[in-house]
Amino acid sequence: MDIKPDKHEKMETRASRKKKSVIGFFNVCKFYGESDAIVDVSFTISKDDFALITGPSGAGKSTVIRIIYMGETISSGSVIVDGMNLLRITRPQVPLLRRKIGVIFQDFKLIPSKTVFGNVALVLEAAGVRSKNIIHDKVMSVLETVGIGDRAASYPPTLSGGEQQRVAVARAMVGEPKIILADEPTASLDPEAADAIYQLLQDVHARGTTVVVTTHDLNLLEKGGTRVIHLKSGRMVSIVNQDVWNGL
Amino acid sequence: MISYFKRALSDFIRHRFLHGVCTATIALSVFIISAFTLFFVNAGALMNTWQKGIRVIAYLEPGVNQGARKALIQRIKAFDGVEDVVFISRQKAFSWLKKEIGRQSSLLEGLEDNPLPDSLEIKISRSALNVKDIEYLASRIKTFNAVNGVEYARKWLARFKGVYDLFRITGIILVTMVFIAIMFIVANTIRLILFSRREEIEITRIIGADEEFIRNPFYIEAAMLGFLGGITGITLLFISFALSMPTISPSGILPFFTIRFIPPAAGIAIVISSVIVSWMGCYFSIRRFLHM
Repeated sequence: MDIKPDKHEKMETRASRKKKSVIGFFNVCKFYGESDAIVDVSFTISKDDFALITGPSGAGKSTVIRIIYMGETISSGSVIVDGMNLLRITRPQVPLLRRKIGVIFQDFKLIPSKTVFGNVALVLEAAGVRSKNIIHDKVMSVLETVGIGDRAASYPPTLSGGEQQRVAVARAMVGEPKIILADEPTASLDPEAADAIYQLLQDVHARGTTVVVTTHDLNLLEKGGTRVIHLKSGRMVSIVNQDVWNGL
Repeated sequence: MISYFKRALSDFIRHRFLHGVCTATIALSVFIISAFTLFFVNAGALMNTWQKGIRVIAYLEPGVNQGARKALIQRIKAFDGVEDVVFISRQKAFSWLKKEIGRQSSLLEGLEDNPLPDSLEIKISRSALNVKDIEYLASRIKTFNAVNGVEYARKWLARFKGVYDLFRITGIILVTMVFIAIMFIVANTIRLILFSRREEIEITRIIGADEEFIRNPFYIEAAMLGFLGGITGITLLFISFALSMPTISPSGILPFFTIRFIPPAAGIAIVISSVIVSWMGCYFSIRRFLHM
């Protein structure tokens, strides 16, 4: 499915360009010593986008995600996230940026010594919410939303993969972030659990949150989003709207 | 702050073995420091007691008349560090000697003449109580014609002072080293905890926690380690002191001196120092490990 970038970049409609972008990559490069993770990547993601970043393993999908939440710094170019230029961001501002973003990982990254409730509540505690009642109500509400309200007192190692990923989704949602980044969220799940997680992400998007998902799962790509960014060997191959992608 | 305390306490319980070992090591170190303090407090008090009793005795030449004696007393009184000068006649000195030797006073009955000379007892003021000042004073008094000789516990005092100073310097070096050791122990303990929780710390950062949120519980944990170690160390010393005192004090080793436990202020200072040093250990560990 190799597509020439020049041809398909034109496929972006004028309307989508005019939309207010919450994430903007401009000629971004990231090098690890001699090897390049991403080279000259440029794209924008709008507020109402459900963007899918796809490509084979080693394409640079996870690097893009890490750059957005400042898990990595870029080697050159510039990145704008919700109006913040990541090159100019100061160290104390990094947590403020991250509170605007919820991140979901393939390996869930839950804290095994904390309960499901504790894992989700940690986001609010870290954001400075002091009221126990507010924390309780918000956490329980989001756990109910993702369908694991009854497992609040359980510890992550006692849950199935699908349940753990639901906790990760709940954790990403509870701070009511503007953006949710999901790095291969369904890669280690069975198809049923993967469908459920994907549906949850679509629900989150429907509530007005920008969602960015990395995946190499073609089934997931067919299920829909608003735009697809295709990377290969660290370079951007194409950026197209979902309807265009599905037609290819 | 309460939430930081709660998190620190829960982490303290979670890593109880590691914290237990660390607390025990700090307690042992504080025990050593406190034992040294105990020694210095008592050795200092003991030296003070002895110094209070120091008098310089100037033995007079035979036949010094009252006028010359009064003039001599005035001149000696004019010296810095002299509090008082009392004349002890040879008769008075002889009667004291008789009284002191008690039953054996019959030995003196055979003497045809009183062999003791007239003397002046020179009381030294507390401000001048150091060996060099006393030595200087004695050498000046010795130069008077009316004075035959001067006597004071010079050698003994100098020796005790020398030993005390040696112990003091050794003690300062040892206490400093022990405090540095406490810092390293806490730094390594915190480093182990940070290492075991590196993933958790990374997750906490990703979800938007600021550096204070991450590091403050560690600082509280370190302070708790220092506090518990400090209190335990001093308590251990107190128990050892209370158990060993009956065997030291009434045995007659130091019948005129009561050995006291370290003053509360010194105990508090040791515990506070232990807390500060532990905190510093944590600070260095966090700086290195978390790059904060």
